[in-house]
Amino acid sequence: MEQTRKDSRGIEHRQGTYACTFRVNGEEVSVDASPMDRVVDLLRDRLHETGTKISCGIGRCGACSIWVDGRLTSSCLLLAYQVEGKEVTTIEGMGTEERCSIVQEAFMNEGGFQCGYCTPGMIMAAESLLRHTPDPDDEEIREGLSGNICRCTGYSGIIRAVKAAAANLQ
Amino acid sequence: MKQPEHQRRPDAVPKVTGSLKYLTDRFEENMLIGKVLRSEYPHARIKRIDTSAAKVLPGVYAVLTHHDVPGLNRFGIVMPDQPVFCEDRVRYTGDAIAAVAADSKETADQALAAVVVEYEPLAVLDSIGKALAPEAEQLHENGNILHEASYTRGDLQEGFTGCACIVEEKYQLPRQMHGYMETEGGVVVPESDGGISVYMATQHGFKDRFQLSRILNAPEEKIRIISSPIGGSFGGKDELNLQPYGALLALKTGHPIRVHNTREESIRAGLKRHPMAITMRTGADESGRVLAHETTIYADTGAYATLGPAILDFAVEHASGLYPIPNITTTGVSVFTNNGVAGEFRGFGGNQVTFALEGQMDRLAAKLGMEGMELRAKNMRKPTDAGPLGQGIAPTDGGRNILEDVTAWQQLPLSNAEETPWVKNGRGGAVSMHGGGLGYGRLDPSGGRLALTKDGKLEAAFGFEECGQGIVAVIETVMKNTFSCNEEDIEITIGDTNKVPVSGSTTASRGTSMVWTAVENMKASFRRQLLSEASRVTGTTAADLYLEAGGIHKRGAEPSLFLSYRALAEYVQDGDIETHTSFDFPVTPDEIDSGHYLYSFGGVSAEVEVNLLTGTVRVLDLKQSVSAGPVMYPQGYRGQIEGGGIMALGYTLMEDAVMNGGHYQTENFDTYLMPGVKDLPDNVTVKPREEVMEGDIHGPRGVGEIGTIAVAPAIAEAIYQAIGARPEKLPVSREWVLQQIQQRGLLPWNKPEKIPGG
Repeated sequence: MEQTRKDSRGIEHRQGTYACTFRVNGEEVSVDASPMDRVVDLLRDRLHETGTKISCGIGRCGACSIWVDGRLTSSCLLLAYQVEGKEVTTIEGMGTEERCSIVQEAFMNEGGFQCGYCTPGMIMAAESLLRHTPDPDDEEIREGLSGNICRCTGYSGIIRAVKAAAANLQ
Repeated sequence: MKQPEHQRRPDAVPKVTGSLKYLTDRFEENMLIGKVLRSEYPHARIKRIDTSAAKVLPGVYAVLTHHDVPGLNRFGIVMPDQPVFCEDRVRYTGDAIAAVAADSKETADQALAAVVVEYEPLAVLDSIGKALAPEAEQLHENGNILHEASYTRGDLQEGFTGCACIVEEKYQLPRQMHGYMETEGGVVVPESDGGISVYMATQHGFKDRFQLSRILNAPEEKIRIISSPIGGSFGGKDELNLQPYGALLALKTGHPIRVHNTREESIRAGLKRHPMAITMRTGADESGRVLAHETTIYADTGAYATLGPAILDFAVEHASGLYPIPNITTTGVSVFTNNGVAGEFRGFGGNQVTFALEGQMDRLAAKLGMEGMELRAKNMRKPTDAGPLGQGIAPTDGGRNILEDVTAWQQLPLSNAEETPWVKNGRGGAVSMHGGGLGYGRLDPSGGRLALTKDGKLEAAFGFEECGQGIVAVIETVMKNTFSCNEEDIEITIGDTNKVPVSGSTTASRGTSMVWTAVENMKASFRRQLLSEASRVTGTTAADLYLEAGGIHKRGAEPSLFLSYRALAEYVQDGDIETHTSFDFPVTPDEIDSGHYLYSFGGVSAEVEVNLLTGTVRVLDLKQSVSAGPVMYPQGYRGQIEGGGIMALGYTLMEDAVMNGGHYQTENFDTYLMPGVKDLPDNVTVKPREEVMEGDIHGPRGVGEIGTIAVAPAIAEAIYQAIGARPEKLPVSREWVLQQIQQRGLLPWNKPEKIPGG
């Protein structure tokens, strides 16, 4: 049954859930969700796929970056109904502790992270960039990572990592 | 021993694969969601709080107010003046009034909306001026001045009398936000013994335990703080934030409580860097010898104290920096207002005064017709000179070393060889000196523990936190260097008050220095214990044995590995091989309150490009020379300076948490702008100057803060070199730049306006 309620900011929400079905890293999942639930919350709070982070919640920082059907997206700006039937790729689908991706290896070697909280999103962006632009120049690297904020590294280590990964992928 | 640049941090794999569980990633069975109701007003009396409607909502387990705090309803690291829950008055919009626990985020939100609070708004003291006005309402019992600090030596008036050249300027520094990517939060779990486990970030677990014990009126032994890993802190998570609410709700409901600030909540309640207004008057004789230096500092500390007094003391100490000027008067006032709470932040008051001090040096140099670096060289401290408060410090030539690099870098050609008429480039340099540790007269204990675990690992245990700075990599490196072991031989224990020894806070650039010192203290005893136990169980003389990768090796044997640590562990009881150390951070022998003993030095050279059409300042080149003793972990050292440099670039050119009438106008990252990858200079260089004085026993100094200090004045001077105008207010706005361009007629079609009759 559908009900409405107001949150602390006075915004009205419709309550009522449905089985939202999509694929996460190749596996089909079905979550009891409201169509208006944020995908980042489904991933973190419902599926406990906490590699995807939440930081600004308004699509400015990129910490929650995932791919939807291969396209880089902020999962805090994405609602449940928008991933219905889609293929979602998260950091958990990029590499494992036993077998890291070339990009992940490069981030470890080049000082591409410190606190690591922006890192999953940053790696999703870097992997996306290198898939579309295998041999990026400086401008293309900056453009490809421009949606992701890192407060620790000052980006130098991240750029070194992307360059090293691009070279190793050749 | 130098480590290769590519040595990976121990936390590398879990961080790049996303498998690392941050404390805000934790989920527990039967967990409830906690939320905090914050004040609607920056300053008001509370007439009534009614939680009855919220309490009866389905799915709500608890609604707490000040009536529900069993112990002291206050927190604050030094002086507990911040209410956990306000009773009858709110002093800023981050003040907490109630907290709820509910079965979902939505229900918790609904419950917050159902709490009725009646306020009687009071005049908002949103500036230092208003707060110091005689008619201003007193924000705290002792008035609106949190702290005053001063330092005097020589005779200022006499000093100025001898000056051929005097410059005076008022500098304004903004309210910078830490901007850690992980907002505050975590989980508090009620334990079966009536105690709690608090899984939340802090920079000093034992301090949180102490503060929570006071609030909960519970013995410290019943409180366990698990506080690492942390998604960034920079000082911002040093003070309590959500811990009291999670703890009170967990104890009240008997359920694990998850609390996690949204970014908006984090900005509203969290600490910021102190906005300061600094007036400096500085004079030199004709030869450029600085004779007199007068500084007045006003700091807006916001509604509550946290470490505001210590930050002001630090600013006063560093107001004359690396220059042993004979006549100095420095006074500082830290003022309570209804603005957001200002507190501990990487640099700790040094950033603000260094911007002013180095600005003075450049203004003086220009007036004297000297090069900026020449003036600095003339006034630079010598290795055995006293510290800025006249206190004895560990001899160091760091100042001259970094100045040498910055001076050389100033000679580099500008990068715009082919001139675009509407783009002007300029290069500037600045230097800084920064005290490590908490200073004379402050409790600053440290320590560590080494042990052989029952699994055959060399355990290195420290009460430090991993905020991203790489303390785990430092511990691993120091262990490897000292005991010639592998990464696999080492087990690092940090961030859990039930498991770690007292090491003091993870602040003040002290972690690396303290880890190194602790291992130095313990290495002989630990090695002796390992070898004598190995000798006992194998019947081999200890003199034939030595430590290396994997365990105990025997001289002349092939292979040399004789008894693995794992095998040795089977022969001994847990705790048989264990050594501790406890000591204090080294302090000046002189009884000068808050004076530091170990200093690091940072020199910066920056080249900027100013677009005369848009007013945009872009930093093209940022070079930093750092003197902080030997490098322990190269990747981490470089990362601290590179990252600190870009954080300071943001401070200089874009960051300001704007407040209007006590309300934040920058509520998220859409309006509070931090540097993105496109703001990164084309070239960033870090040059460690590792040399120390002969006989120096202090090892590495720590570089958590030094990379943030001298960046702003270097960029400011570069802007001056480009357009001939000196910024005195940060961040340097495009509007200001355009105004300066207009006034100076720097564009060919925009000559300066003629003054009528002039």
